[in-house]
Amino acid sequence: MSTPTLPPGLAIQKADERIMTLNVGPQHPGSGHMRIVVQIDGDYIVACDPDPGYVHRGEEKMAEYRNYVLNIPHLERPVIHDSCNILYPYVLGVEELLGLEITERAKYVRVIAAELNRCVYTMYWLAIYGIFLGHSTMFMWPAGDRELLIDLLEKMTGARVTHSYFIPGGIRNDLPANFEDVCLRQVNYFEKRIKEYADVFYDNPILISRTEKTGVLSREDAIRLGTTGSVLRASGVDYDVRKKEPYDVYDELDFQTNVMKSGDSYARSRIPWLDMMESCRIIRDALQKMPKSGSVRVKLKPNPKGGIDSVYKRIESGRGALGCYIVSDKKPEPYRVKLSVPSFRNLIALPHLLIGEKLGNMPSIYWSLNYWPVEADR
Amino acid sequence: MGTATGIIKALNSGVKHLAVKRFTLRYPEEKLKFVGDGYQFDPSTGVGIAGLKGRHMLFHDHCTGCQLCSIACEGVAEAIGMVKVPDEWKQNKKSIMPQIDYGKCVFCGLCVDACPFYALYMTNDYELSSFSKEGLIYTPAQLQVKPFVSQDSEIQISSRGATHG
Repeated sequence: MSTPTLPPGLAIQKADERIMTLNVGPQHPGSGHMRIVVQIDGDYIVACDPDPGYVHRGEEKMAEYRNYVLNIPHLERPVIHDSCNILYPYVLGVEELLGLEITERAKYVRVIAAELNRCVYTMYWLAIYGIFLGHSTMFMWPAGDRELLIDLLEKMTGARVTHSYFIPGGIRNDLPANFEDVCLRQVNYFEKRIKEYADVFYDNPILISRTEKTGVLSREDAIRLGTTGSVLRASGVDYDVRKKEPYDVYDELDFQTNVMKSGDSYARSRIPWLDMMESCRIIRDALQKMPKSGSVRVKLKPNPKGGIDSVYKRIESGRGALGCYIVSDKKPEPYRVKLSVPSFRNLIALPHLLIGEKLGNMPSIYWSLNYWPVEADR
Repeated sequence: MGTATGIIKALNSGVKHLAVKRFTLRYPEEKLKFVGDGYQFDPSTGVGIAGLKGRHMLFHDHCTGCQLCSIACEGVAEAIGMVKVPDEWKQNKKSIMPQIDYGKCVFCGLCVDACPFYALYMTNDYELSSFSKEGLIYTPAQLQVKPFVSQDSEIQISSRGATHG
């Protein structure tokens, strides 16, 4: 009897005595649905095939049927913890298309909201990183301290997550009274708390022995594979969109970028933590330099239309450079909205890093890539 | 730093927290305090007023039945439908007012931004759970009622750590 010819994807692989195929996922490995198909020889990974796409929502297509303002609530859904940052390039692009000039105060408030959001995202990421490594203190501390910043964002925007705060022309509402004092107090306490994480987590010899020299991404590979954000900076490339292409008022604020040379999962997990301290510095500086009063929103016409034009804007999100390409064709709806997301670009490095590693190191390498499945699938 | 020193430091950091106050909020007994009465919008200046985006509040004497809130919601959640109301209002010739389905609402507040007549606000009420899907649909008469909310816990920071006092 002859064997039937099957399409390539369905072909039955010949059983191997040594190599075993293992499906990790697709049920929720921490943040969203994605699958990693790994082939293991004993304890060592010999091949790896990430399989994203389980949470594709068609955000880009949906954006073609809604006008520039109504796109805001659904475009922030891919990363609800970082919702101000994922809206940022879209809003900057629409402002350029519609020719809107936003006020100085609105720019500063946006920077504060974006930095608070970056910290909220990183704290959530850190909590999951802790639980991936079996470190339950590092799950509970960030999950609790995140509440300090969520409380600030709630006072500011009226929602704990999915703020819908940025709008073409500025921000939705002005800051509440007495916000500056509350913000300064809570951000200072937050910074004091995250410094304590060094003792229990980052300088902990058990963590260092587990993550150091695993999943090493060299400087050349990091550039060649097109990684961004903390992954790129952990490999020794000093690249931050806030420094290289400053948007809004980042060129007036005092901060620095954190770079580490080793490129292993320890460096990749430490860089976001160092970035949070820089975020605290940015927030304090912005609160000081912000104009104390003034308009925050430019009035929009109903159903604003752009000309025949296209625009590409980039910002630095909690995960890396996030771009948005918008094409308009004299209609209230955009002709095309394309999100260029950092998660997808960081995922490309995963098969490269996992080969030759032990299976037990897979969670720490996977999550240190700062990858968010929902954002990658859009 | 040696391995033993590092482990002792990590343990010490945890032991210190025995003296730190509890940070968590005991939710049903304690509730967080919010800014103001909820998210509102001033159409004359075009800027919102900060507050929690909770359940809506509808002022019947301001609503003209213009459907702008419903049109704004069509692109977002399709939660607002216009329904007939029994009583007659001078400014509302068609006698239609919004009815909101909280099973669909995403609390973005764009309907509040769309209302040019100060008729639709958002309040601090966020406890909207119901045993049936019909229970989540709020009619204009239900939206008229101002919710009773008692929220008083705030984050307090002292030298012994942060608590919800």
